Amino acid sequence: MIEQFSRQASLTRSSRRSEQAKRVPALASVRKLLLEAQDDQGGWPAASSFPSTTESTALGLLAVSYATEESSRIAANRAMAWLQARQRPDGSWPHSDQVPHGDWATSLAILALSRFPEEKASADAGARWLLGQEGRGYGWLTKLVFLLFPERKAVRLDPDLIGWPWYPDTFSWIEPTSYSLIALKSRRADLRGRRARARIDEAERMILDRECLSGGWNYGNSMVLDEELWPYPDTTALALIALQDFPRPESLERSLTALEAMVEDRASILSLALAVLALQLHGRDVAAVRSRLAGRVESELLPTDTRSLAFAALALDDGAKPLAVPTDPLRQARSANG
Amino acid sequence: MVSRRDFLRTGAAAAAAASLPGCRSERDAPRWDGRAHRKPERSDVAILRAESYSGDLLDTVTAGLELFALKISGRRVVLKPNLVEFDPQGVINTHPALIAATIEAFLHLGAREVVVAEGPGHRRDNEYLLTESGLGEILRDTGTRYVDLNQDSVRPARLLSSYTQLGTLYLPETVLDAELFVSMPKLKTHHWAGVTLSMKNLFGVVPGAVYGWPKNVLHWAGIGASIIDINAALEVPRFNIVDGIVGMEGNGPIQGEPKRSGVLVFGADPVAVDATCARLMSIDPWRVSYLADAAAFLGNVANERIAQLAEDVDTLRQDFRVLESFETLKLTPRAAAG
Repeated sequence: MIEQFSRQASLTRSSRRSEQAKRVPALASVRKLLLEAQDDQGGWPAASSFPSTTESTALGLLAVSYATEESSRIAANRAMAWLQARQRPDGSWPHSDQVPHGDWATSLAILALSRFPEEKASADAGARWLLGQEGRGYGWLTKLVFLLFPERKAVRLDPDLIGWPWYPDTFSWIEPTSYSLIALKSRRADLRGRRARARIDEAERMILDRECLSGGWNYGNSMVLDEELWPYPDTTALALIALQDFPRPESLERSLTALEAMVEDRASILSLALAVLALQLHGRDVAAVRSRLAGRVESELLPTDTRSLAFAALALDDGAKPLAVPTDPLRQARSANG
Repeated sequence: MVSRRDFLRTGAAAAAAASLPGCRSERDAPRWDGRAHRKPERSDVAILRAESYSGDLLDTVTAGLELFALKISGRRVVLKPNLVEFDPQGVINTHPALIAATIEAFLHLGAREVVVAEGPGHRRDNEYLLTESGLGEILRDTGTRYVDLNQDSVRPARLLSSYTQLGTLYLPETVLDAELFVSMPKLKTHHWAGVTLSMKNLFGVVPGAVYGWPKNVLHWAGIGASIIDINAALEVPRFNIVDGIVGMEGNGPIQGEPKRSGVLVFGADPVAVDATCARLMSIDPWRVSYLADAAAFLGNVANERIAQLAEDVDTLRQDFRVLESFETLKLTPRAAAG
């Protein structure tokens, strides 16, 4: 028996060493590529030849903020300056310099700046703006038509559950709602009050309402015209990251299992990276998925988009839980009381 | 007073509206700028037989292009296929073999550069979409540049028609600066719009980074109305090649069934090309509201104004199954004769 345990421990140590042997150089590769992709102004473009955007810069900043090298520290400072220069007086960020209004990308800027205590005022202003944004529900006439003719309701979702839209004053969707939830939860200590708590609770319900029948999420529609739609690994992972402290974790089991199945084979680097981040936040063993991610990074042509690189860098850094949000004592208490 | 527009501001509502008399889309006050009027006296369209995606596809595409007096020499050609989503069992996208043949044909005919550009409407994960659809391999093999229109640099484009109330749309510079823009849709039915062809394919030029995934702002604005306004806004030289080798019937554009049609449809006038495709599908183009509206200023729908340069519509017409709510779009024998 002792011999068996000893053999197993030895195997575990050996597979960890092998995983580490792949992971460490892969992490160095993606961080190097990320640093090379930063532009002269400190921003990151979505991919080379495009202008820098708030989303890419925020994700780039988040990724380099976990690195300890001097080059990463310098890159982070330049990215912070890029973001500071683009924050609008109302606290929001526009997607890019070409678009003159705040939008969904604000959530990512908040998330990245929350890593730096000196950026508290900026992140808080962004969070206040974000709290004021809502996805749009159906108008009363549409509601009346669906009440009178329920067969004409083409989608299976509750339009009264409000999250966050991509574009101001449009419908709520999974990805912007997930980013907004993660950002607001990361600012929880500074956002006391019923309003923030109510928005977070409702957005969580909205995400659950949009879950695909087989588990997981796509952009935000589980069924159209009685046909079931399939989930995507990247949006499923983002939704699960947003729901990391959901009080009834058992209700997420089906989607966690669906995510593991979705990245089992032929997954992209983006999907593998997001799956690692989501699964580890839900206490799943991610060694195999992370190892596959490292293998992909090292053996294949790397994607040139900043989003994939940034999430890969975060996922390959096994010391960090980069998208973990602080616990909410009130929520914990409620959960403990059933 | 609630406007009809309010009622139509969701995709679901749009579907419901399709069967509600008196609640049609924004057809009540069609308006367009003089610059948007580009309806010719007559439009040339060519239907070429193409039985499969292998064999002499390059010859067929070259023959199709040579029927038109296109200015290709020295120009940068932007191909915009349909790559909205991927389903291994489905036929959602423009077939990569057709894209490969088209790249080669344009280069053979003297194009300076051919670029493939798309802004997928549902998925953000380009690595996944390009790999699984097979387009990535084509791009690598032909050395063709791919532009993700969802992330491209954008400029505000003042809309030249006002079927929506959008007024302005941010559009990608790759599209606005194209020296020849080629819409390459799949021949499909569409569960909101009736059919999705050259004109509807332009939803993919609307940048997701600004408007989201799905491009929900267009649904709020009205799908048919948005199709017209986007098409009217593009003042660049245009051409259209419709992949009807295998089309899609039923619950298109994602979950319909394959329909082997064995045709490629060519033409510079997107309205005439789409009207021809609709007739090939046994759908009356005059009953597709956005085509009927477009016939006022963007191009030709009337049979007598469309010169068929190759095969005859009647010879190759097939009965595409449509959803019950679109049965009213079907071509009657009288309309087919006219």
